[in-house]
Amino acid sequence: MPLLELDRVSVSYGPVQAVREVNLHVERGEVVTLIGANGAGKSTILRTISGLARIGGGALNFDGKDISRQRPDAILRLGLAHCPEGRQVLARQSVEDNLLLGAYVRKDLDGIDRDLESSYQMFPRLRERRLQPAGTLSGGEQQMLAIARALMSAPRMLLLDEPSLGLAPLVVEEIFSIIDALNARGMTILLVEQNARLALKHSHRGYVLESGQIAATGQARELLDDSRVLEAYLGA
Amino acid sequence: MNIALFLQNILNGLSIGAVYSIFALGYTLVFSILGIINFAHGAVFTLGAYCTYALAVGDFGLNGLLAGLSMPFRLPFPLALLGGSLIAGITGVLVERLAFRPLRAKGADALLALVSSLGVALIIVNLLQMLVGAEIYSFPSDIFGSLPMAMIVKVGGKVLAVRTVQIIILAVSMVLLVLLAWFMNRTRMGKALQATAENPETASLLGINVDRYIVSTFFISGVLGGLAGTLIGASFGLAGPYFGVSYGLKGLAVIVLGGLGSIPGAVLGGVVIGLGEAFLPPDYSSLKEAVAFIMLFFILLARPQGLLGRQTIQKV
Ligand SMILES: Nc1ncnc2c1ncn2[C@@H]1O[C@H](COP(=O)(O)OP(=O)(O)OP(=O)(O)O)[C@@H](O)[C@H]1O
Ligand SMILES: [Mg+2]
Repeated sequence: MPLLELDRVSVSYGPVQAVREVNLHVERGEVVTLIGANGAGKSTILRTISGLARIGGGALNFDGKDISRQRPDAILRLGLAHCPEGRQVLARQSVEDNLLLGAYVRKDLDGIDRDLESSYQMFPRLRERRLQPAGTLSGGEQQMLAIARALMSAPRMLLLDEPSLGLAPLVVEEIFSIIDALNARGMTILLVEQNARLALKHSHRGYVLESGQIAATGQARELLDDSRVLEAYLGA
Repeated sequence: MNIALFLQNILNGLSIGAVYSIFALGYTLVFSILGIINFAHGAVFTLGAYCTYALAVGDFGLNGLLAGLSMPFRLPFPLALLGGSLIAGITGVLVERLAFRPLRAKGADALLALVSSLGVALIIVNLLQMLVGAEIYSFPSDIFGSLPMAMIVKVGGKVLAVRTVQIIILAVSMVLLVLLAWFMNRTRMGKALQATAENPETASLLGINVDRYIVSTFFISGVLGGLAGTLIGASFGLAGPYFGVSYGLKGLAVIVLGGLGSIPGAVLGGVVIGLGEAFLPPDYSSLKEAVAFIMLFFILLARPQGLLGRQTIQKV
């Protein structure tokens, strides 16, 4: 049984159907990438999984449980964390308070301390700035904080929406090596990326979304070799 | 101005200002989490005052459905104050359920809640009038038990009157401010509340049950409103079910003057307006109710964002 499974999921904003009958699954331990043009519905799919957007039809299961009617906070408690598009850090709170709020659902103080320390090891720049308001960080630093904060809940699965957006190439490399490291430790990841080629290189499988529908799916390597996908999304 | 009169004005200004601050904090908390003004806050203020009166004094006057009845028990003032404030807090929760949540669930424009909260305010005030009539209620002189109503202090040959209710107000507001600051900045719940205020969607992704924090905010806001109503009632009497309306408007002046959504701003704004009223020369005393708005006008000319407001009002 897959860890996450979407069965003919549809989502509408008023009269506009943004996602149409999408079938998608992620197995335990997999990294899966969702690619598609702007407005294809990638963020909508992630927002539906994490409970931010209301599902219009179909079934949505995480770890065998129906989560289609659950609130976002309840879904996080099941171990599914969502790092949303556009660095949604809490600008007025300190870097460290952002990280600690990431662990809001946890009670194991020792574990929280340990994970705070490993966040700082992962992103040393956050340690240097730990007492400053998160709103004063650079864009790249805010993105690191958003990822580190999502990890502070000790999730079993991570939804990452465009983690490399607006980052310098070196930092993008860094983010992808962190994705690899997390996956090597067993983390299941569903990734949305504009940088499709790089994302597919770091993934097991991929889905191509076109106007709210799945247009292609397969092993990451197959998609990288597929001439249609290549033309449309990989800029080749 | 002689020193005794100066000290008297300071004392009067600080104590009434402290009540304005407590009351205005109730507006601010709801505003910072929902981005809208709860127009039922003045009615909750009134209701809290009447409930404390009922618990402490026990009679319901000569008009209204409850006329001639009396409570089977009477509570000492501190307990009645606590009881009245708790009832006001519960009323705050009801206001959220009736006026705010249904609209929020439908994704309606936040401005509509202004109208629905005004509607709930009218219902509360009219129910009060139906139950206890429109007469004036005053707390009896022995309300603080064996404590006198006031102490007379001599300063430089002149007299200074320190009312017991003023000391109570100053003590209660100090304790409240320390508690609120500790809660907001030092506890996990307070930080989660701030996160909800800054960005409800992000807060929900962090595992914070946003609806629960909204309800808690309305409860705290209601408690603060009821407390303020009681303290005003104990100072000047309960001048009918509509007596919260003018305080409701003044409270709005306080939060705008202090800076919308700013907690320290609400505190400072209350004290500034309280002092302004206290130092109004006696010849101009007919302008007392206008002082808050005149000060608001001039302060906004100099600082459009209010005394401690952020440069721009952000609501994410
Ligand atoms: N809150 C909303 N209200 C109405 N329409 C929306 C809303 N959010 C998204 N949409 C629409 O739904 C469609 C899918 O949007 P979505 O954000 O999921 O796209 P995306 O694939 O993430 O795009 P991008 O690559 O630009 O982030 C778009 O046509 C968008 O205009
Ligand atoms: Mg998107």
